[in-house]
Amino acid sequence: MAGSTITSYGPAASEVFPEPRRRAWRALIEPYLYLSPALILIGLVMFVPLLLGLSFAYRNIHLLNPFSGGFVGLDHFSAIMGDKRFWRALINTGWWTGASLVLQFSLGLGLAMLLNRPFRGKRFVQAIIFLPWAVPIFLSGLTWAWLFNPVIGPLPHWLAALGVMSEPYNILSNPSVAMWGPIIANVWFGIPFFAITMLAALQSVPYELHEAAAIDGASAWQRFVKVTLPFIAPVIAITVLLRTIWISNFADLIIVMTGGGPADSTQIVASYIFTTAYRRLDFGYASAISTALLVLLMLYSLIVLQLRRRLAGKV
Amino acid sequence: MAEVTVRDVYKAYGAVRVLRGVSIDMHDGEFVVLVGPSGCGKSTLLRMIAGLEEINSGDILIGDRVVNDVAPKDRDIAMVFQSYALYPHMTVASNMGFSLEIRRKATDLITAAVGRAAGTLGLGDLLARFPRELSGGQRQRVAMGRAIVRQPQVFLFDEPLSNLDAKLRVQMRTEIKALHQDMGTTAIYVTHDQVEAMTMADRIVVMNEGVIQQIGHPLEVYDRPANQFVASFIGSPGMNFLEGTARQTADTSWVEMVDGTKLPAPRTDAEEGQTVIYGVRPEALTIDEEARSGLIARVDVTEPTGLSTLVFSRVADSITCAFTMDRLDLTRGQPIGLVPDVARVHLFDQASGVRL
Repeated sequence: MAGSTITSYGPAASEVFPEPRRRAWRALIEPYLYLSPALILIGLVMFVPLLLGLSFAYRNIHLLNPFSGGFVGLDHFSAIMGDKRFWRALINTGWWTGASLVLQFSLGLGLAMLLNRPFRGKRFVQAIIFLPWAVPIFLSGLTWAWLFNPVIGPLPHWLAALGVMSEPYNILSNPSVAMWGPIIANVWFGIPFFAITMLAALQSVPYELHEAAAIDGASAWQRFVKVTLPFIAPVIAITVLLRTIWISNFADLIIVMTGGGPADSTQIVASYIFTTAYRRLDFGYASAISTALLVLLMLYSLIVLQLRRRLAGKV
Repeated sequence: MAEVTVRDVYKAYGAVRVLRGVSIDMHDGEFVVLVGPSGCGKSTLLRMIAGLEEINSGDILIGDRVVNDVAPKDRDIAMVFQSYALYPHMTVASNMGFSLEIRRKATDLITAAVGRAAGTLGLGDLLARFPRELSGGQRQRVAMGRAIVRQPQVFLFDEPLSNLDAKLRVQMRTEIKALHQDMGTTAIYVTHDQVEAMTMADRIVVMNEGVIQQIGHPLEVYDRPANQFVASFIGSPGMNFLEGTARQTADTSWVEMVDGTKLPAPRTDAEEGQTVIYGVRPEALTIDEEARSGLIARVDVTEPTGLSTLVFSRVADSITCAFTMDRLDLTRGQPIGLVPDVARVHLFDQASGVRL
């Protein structure tokens, strides 16, 4: 028996050597079959909600109006064009993001440089640095709002004593300076991020580069500008890019501290979306603003990524 | 150009004493190699001359100026690092011109100086490249170029060749030496490779455990090692050491091994009956294949290199190495006689290791 009928057990010749076209098709589709569980999962949790949310922008959805839900086309977008509150919020977003970012970055980098030298209790201090992140944002916002409140907080009294303020008042209730309240809270919240990432970047600069530069005649400042900064530039670029997007989307502190007021003076686009959706319950319009913000941030990312690519080509 | 003087320098990190009273006079234009095993303090000494490490006590002079408290940038020195320490974000040209740029020299002057140095080192075509686009050997050249452009008073080299492969190392070693001969600038070179030390140095400084063991011309250090450490460290393959007892009569002296073999020894201050270390280099041993004379040993391993043959043989418990240009046909376990050349035998005090 052995060997006599063995040929009939093997797979058919057509299966072992499928036609070329069929084989190419199979090779093409095979990787996607393996990837499909992940792709389906990502699609379900990311793209379906995203597309659903974006689709609201073309419909009239008021939560309290049972007759809403109809298709309105691009009406919401043309409304945005003429919405003064939106444009005001956009300018405020620029302010909020720019000021927060510059202060967070420069103070964070400064702190990182202080931490990048040996001293007693360094580990303890490094742990303490993270503290702002351990506090719930809601609580941070409330605490800062209280600190700025002259009835219970010390800050206005200190500022008045220093002569910065004529009398201790709550800056959160003054439309011309109210934005600085949330910005200061945000800087306090964001310094650790830059301190830790910049510290890691600084520690990646080889010690010998500093020594070589010192021997080449560079002063401490020249070493920082000509050696350290260019070395950590790629890290700076990517963290600043990420942080910009986070900050411009970060409405929590504003909602808690000022709710966008007074008189919309602290309203940023993200908080305007929140207010429109959850205070006015106009989901359709809120979704349209979100779409606009998404497009703006994507444009920004593309520009920065392009810059980064050009920068990376140099380094 | 300048002489460099190190005067009774001490250095300690906490309780660890790295340098214990080091003094060297380096002449103007001299190529001095500091050599020793890891942790002997040679790099620390170099970094102190560069101004990268503080001095606990003693003086370091460049020219006739005490530089103990002078910042590295004001010492007029250039240093080539083991890792090259090239600025990764700058081109080869900017790397080489950095020190001049910092000193605010005119652009055309910098370009000219960089061009000259690049020509000397054969880097002309690479000036627009970045360090990451270069091979190890090219990076090493750029690091040298950066030092040359400065036209400093002293060149400092901190194991600059140890990251290169063996072939390139030999080539660069020759180039550095040639470069030094052309420029005539004082150079201080740290290495743990005794071959580099022997081939490059005008004078070798052998260090161990923070103490200078011997300073001298390479062949002087090789031929008359001051102690057993220097004898063992300099030379490859290393010197053979055999323990024995010094014996002498009015007109002859020898060393008696434990097994009773008598090996001829040079006339030294060794006292009759003193326990000594009998040191003989592999090339000072002649092999007697018939084992009729000399120290009788049994062949362990032979290593033919084509040029020569190394014969490792066993005497009592220790392995002895002999070097011969002959192509011998020896089998493992075969008895041979090792006949030392008396003129090239060294005796060391067994307790202190000092040459007798």
